[in-house]
Amino acid sequence: MIYGGSIFRAWVQSTLPALAADRSEQSPAEQLDDLWARFCLGDVLVVDRHFKPLQHIADGVWELKTTDLRIFGWFPQKDHFIAVLADLKRALVQNRSYGVYRRAVVAARDALPLDNPKFITGTDPNDVVSNFAYA
Amino acid sequence: MTSFQISLTPSRRAATRFIGSVRRALQKALVDEGKKSGLTQAEVARRIGVHRSIINRELRGAENLSLGRVAELAWAMGRKPIFELVESAAPSGANHIAAPIAATDTGQTAARIDANSAVSTTATQGALGA
Repeated sequence: MIYGGSIFRAWVQSTLPALAADRSEQSPAEQLDDLWARFCLGDVLVVDRHFKPLQHIADGVWELKTTDLRIFGWFPQKDHFIAVLADLKRALVQNRSYGVYRRAVVAARDALPLDNPKFITGTDPNDVVSNFAYA
Repeated sequence: MTSFQISLTPSRRAATRFIGSVRRALQKALVDEGKKSGLTQAEVARRIGVHRSIINRELRGAENLSLGRVAELAWAMGRKPIFELVESAAPSGANHIAAPIAATDTGQTAARIDANSAVSTTATQGALGA
């Protein structure tokens, strides 16, 4: 299950459709659609040093990744992701925004009145998703 | 809670999920062969006769995959691709239309789900202040 905050939802509806792919034959919207379908179906996520569809950043903040997109959020429980922000990888690198986005996710998580623990603290993909394959 | 959805035409949704499934199958095969026999991207590239960076970009989605390259990659991994076209059919008890549907003027596919995909890309918006 993927939940989305208001900023993320607005981005999906307003910004995402106009984004062009930087490196893929699939548009960013198509990349996200495919990632969501894979995540929600429980398809195996292949993780190795070359393929990293999800990655822990810090402080329980994770990014889901497509070729051109990065989606930031956290896992309140296994297989449940709350998306807070997203952007093109190119923009994140150019603007050096990773730290800003990580802090924004932490702030959103802190502000949300969830039962404790609010997030999974593990840093291994096995801690947050049920079906993945390591190289 | 309200839900929201990525706007894609049914044809593009079908295409992007097919492309994704092929790419993931290749990734999974390489991972499996790597565990089994130590196969690497570099060795796959050597067998095909291209630079490793090309294989890496193709498998990560940063470069398009041609049908010919799919077959070459499968061969280099000791695998045989099987391609089959089966009729679309709604699962038993499914509550949606199985036949291909035309996109609306806005390209929205809102309430309908591609019968090939078994899941929509609807996500849920909770009461987040983010």
